[in-house]
Amino acid sequence: MTKVYVGMSGGVDSSLTAALLVEQGYDVTGVYMKNWTQDLPGMRCPWADDLADAKRVAVQLGIDFKVFDFETEYRHKVVEYMIDEYTLGRTPNPDIMCNQEVKFKLFLDAAIDDGADMIATGHYAKVDNGVLKMAVDANKDQTYFLYRVTGAALTKTLFPLGEFTKPRVREMARERGLFTAAKKDSQGICFVGKVGIREFLSLYVEQVPGKIIDKNSGKVLGHHDGAIFYTLGQRHGLDLGGGLPYYVIGKDMGKNEVYVTTDLNDGTLWRSNVELAAVHWINAAPRNGDFAIRVRHRAKLTPASIAITDTRAQLQLHDPERAVAAGQSVVIYDGDVCLGGGIVV
Amino acid sequence: MNTSEFIYLDHAAATPLDDRVLDAMRPYFSDLFYNPSSPYAPAVSIRRDYEAAKQTIAECIGATADELVMTAGATESINLAFGSVNGHVISSAIEHHAVLAATRQHDHTLVDCDERGRIDPQSIRAAIKDDTMLVSIALANNELGTLQPLRDIAEVLRSEREARRVRGNTTPIYLHSDASQGVGQLDVNVARLGVDMMTVNAAKVYGPKQMGLLWAQRHIPLTPHIVGGGQERGLRSGTENVAGTIGFARAMQLADKGRKAEAERLRELRDGLEKRLMGAFKQAVVSGHKKHRLPGHLHISFPSVDAERLIFGLEARGVLVATGSACAANKGTRSHVLTAIGLAPEIADGSLRISLGKLSTIENSAQAGDILIDVINNEIDRMAKR
Repeated sequence: MTKVYVGMSGGVDSSLTAALLVEQGYDVTGVYMKNWTQDLPGMRCPWADDLADAKRVAVQLGIDFKVFDFETEYRHKVVEYMIDEYTLGRTPNPDIMCNQEVKFKLFLDAAIDDGADMIATGHYAKVDNGVLKMAVDANKDQTYFLYRVTGAALTKTLFPLGEFTKPRVREMARERGLFTAAKKDSQGICFVGKVGIREFLSLYVEQVPGKIIDKNSGKVLGHHDGAIFYTLGQRHGLDLGGGLPYYVIGKDMGKNEVYVTTDLNDGTLWRSNVELAAVHWINAAPRNGDFAIRVRHRAKLTPASIAITDTRAQLQLHDPERAVAAGQSVVIYDGDVCLGGGIVV
Repeated sequence: MNTSEFIYLDHAAATPLDDRVLDAMRPYFSDLFYNPSSPYAPAVSIRRDYEAAKQTIAECIGATADELVMTAGATESINLAFGSVNGHVISSAIEHHAVLAATRQHDHTLVDCDERGRIDPQSIRAAIKDDTMLVSIALANNELGTLQPLRDIAEVLRSEREARRVRGNTTPIYLHSDASQGVGQLDVNVARLGVDMMTVNAAKVYGPKQMGLLWAQRHIPLTPHIVGGGQERGLRSGTENVAGTIGFARAMQLADKGRKAEAERLRELRDGLEKRLMGAFKQAVVSGHKKHRLPGHLHISFPSVDAERLIFGLEARGVLVATGSACAANKGTRSHVLTAIGLAPEIADGSLRISLGKLSTIENSAQAGDILIDVINNEIDRMAKR
C-alpha cells in the first residue's frame, strides 16, 4: 500500500485531503508542520489550536499523526528572506518560498526519510506525472504559489483537491463530519495573516522617516516612516490628504524616498517589458515563444512573448500590466500547465 | 445544571454552576444592582446581603468574615498571599502553576514528593531557613488528586515558631494552602487543617468563575496589590462582586451540607470505574495515593498510548476528559507533576485525568466506562496494526 504523508494544517482543505486519500486506499499519516509559533503584538498565533484540530481530524480518520518541527529552517529560509527582500526595496512572496524550501523540500525529504512513498497537501492544483496543472476551481487555483517546486518533487506529490471547487470541498468535509468542515480559512501566510505586513516588518526593521515626493513636480508632499513599507502601485496608507488619490510609482531605498503620482496611466505603473531573474522551470525550459503569464495570485492570464537566456527571461507583454514590482513572481503557463516562472528584476 | 449530550469527566477543571447558586445570584444581576458602598437604603440592604454571604462562607471554613478577602479567583488569592511576604518561601515541585509562578518571585525551595505525590513534612522541616516566611502546599494535587498531610506540616511550622521564639528570631512563618481542588469533597475547616492562610476558588465548587477568596488569620499583615477605593479592608479594592459572593456562599453552603454523602457517592463511582479500567487493561497504571486521594479523582495511564488521541477519540464519542499530561500543542513539555513522581515518559504520555462530580451518575459512569474501554481498545488495536 502506498504510504502518503499529508501536510495537515488544521484547516478544512488539508483535512479533506487526508480523508479523501484514506478513502482512496492509501496508507495515510497526517503531519503538522510547525513553522511559526510566535505570538505577535496584539495577535495570538493560533498554531496550538491548529495543531489540535489537525490531530483531532487524524484521530477521526484513524490515521497516524506526527509533528515535524521546521521552525528554525522556516525562519531562515522564509522569514529572513522576506525581511531581506523588503529591506532591498523589493516585494517578495513568502508563500512561494515556503513551498519551494519547506513543503516540497524539507517536508518531502523528512517524510521520505520517515518511510513515506509520497506526500500530499491541500493545495488547489493538479499534478500529472510530475507536470503541474491548474486546478478545476479557477478561483482557488494555487499554481502561482507552486511554480518554484521541482518536477522531481511533484512526481512524489498528490493534490487531491485539484479536482474540486472550494464550495464542494466544504460540502464534502461536512458530509464526512470532519471537525474542521466549517472552520474559517486562514488568510495568507500565517504569521502576517492578521497583523498585516506593515506591522510585521516594523518589528524587525527600524522606522526611518523619509519624504514622499510627487514624481512630476518634484514637490515634497509629505513624509512616511520608511520606504520599506511601500510597494509599487500602492494607494492606501499614503495619508496625503484630500484631492486625487496618489499611487506609489517608485522608491529610492538609499535616500529613503517614495515617489508618487496621481496619473493612473503613468509609465512606471504599467509595464510591457518585464525582465525575470532566477527563473525556475518545473520540468524542461520551454522554447522561446508566446505563452500565458500571471503576475500575481488570481490575476487573469495574459499573453506574453518570452525569450529565455540562461537564468533570465525577457517578457514582452501583449497588454501592459499594472504594478509589476521588483521581487514579485511572474508565472508562465502553457494552456493549463504551469511551466515555471521567475522573479521580477 | 442541565446534563448535555456529553458525559463530563473533568470536574477538576471546571464545575457547572449549580441551579440553586444561579437562583441565588440572579437578583443581584438585575434589581439588586446597587453599589454596596452607597448610602441609601436599597444599597445598604445589599451591603448586608454581601456581609451575610461572607459570614456564611466564613462559617463553612470555620473562620470569621473579617478574615476573608474576596478575590477574582484562586490565582489572585495566591498572588495576594505570596505578595504579602518578603522572605524565603517553600513550596513543592507538584504545585499548580499559579503557586509555582508566585514561588519563583521569591528566594525559594521546592520540596519533592514521593512517587504517589505525597509530601513528607520532614522535607519541609529540612527546607526551612531562618528567613522562611511562607510554606504553600495545596490540600489536594490537581493532577493526581493526592491529599497532603497539612496537619503534620502545620505541626512542623508550629515547632519552628517555637524554636524561633527561643532563638529570638522574630520572622513569622505561615502555612498557606490552596484548597480549591478539595473544597467540594473534603473538610476545609481551617482550624482542623492547621493552616494560617487558605485559598478557595468558587469555580471548583459549582459556583461562579472569577470568584475566590483568601482567608488569612487576623494577625497576618497582607499587602494589597489592587489598590483603590479601599474595599475588603483595603486589601482588595474595587466594587464588591456581590452576585459572585452570594453565589459563592450558596455553593459553599451546599457543599458543606452534602459533602460527606457526595464524597462517598463519588468514591464508589470512581472505584467502580477504576476497577473496570484496570480489569480491561492489565498494563494500565494508576497514579496518586491509593488512600489519601480525592474521592472523585482518577489518574490513569495507558503505557505507549498517546493520551491526546484518546481525548479526541473520546470527545467524538461524547466523553470529555483531561489528559493527565502534556498535549503536543504544549510544546511537548510533560506535566511537571508526573515528572516529579518519576513516571516514565511512555507512561506519562498515556495519562488521562478523570474527575467525577455532580454531573456523574451511576448510569453515565457505566456508559463512560464502556466508551473509554472501546476507544482505548481501538487505539491499541490501531497501533498494533502498524
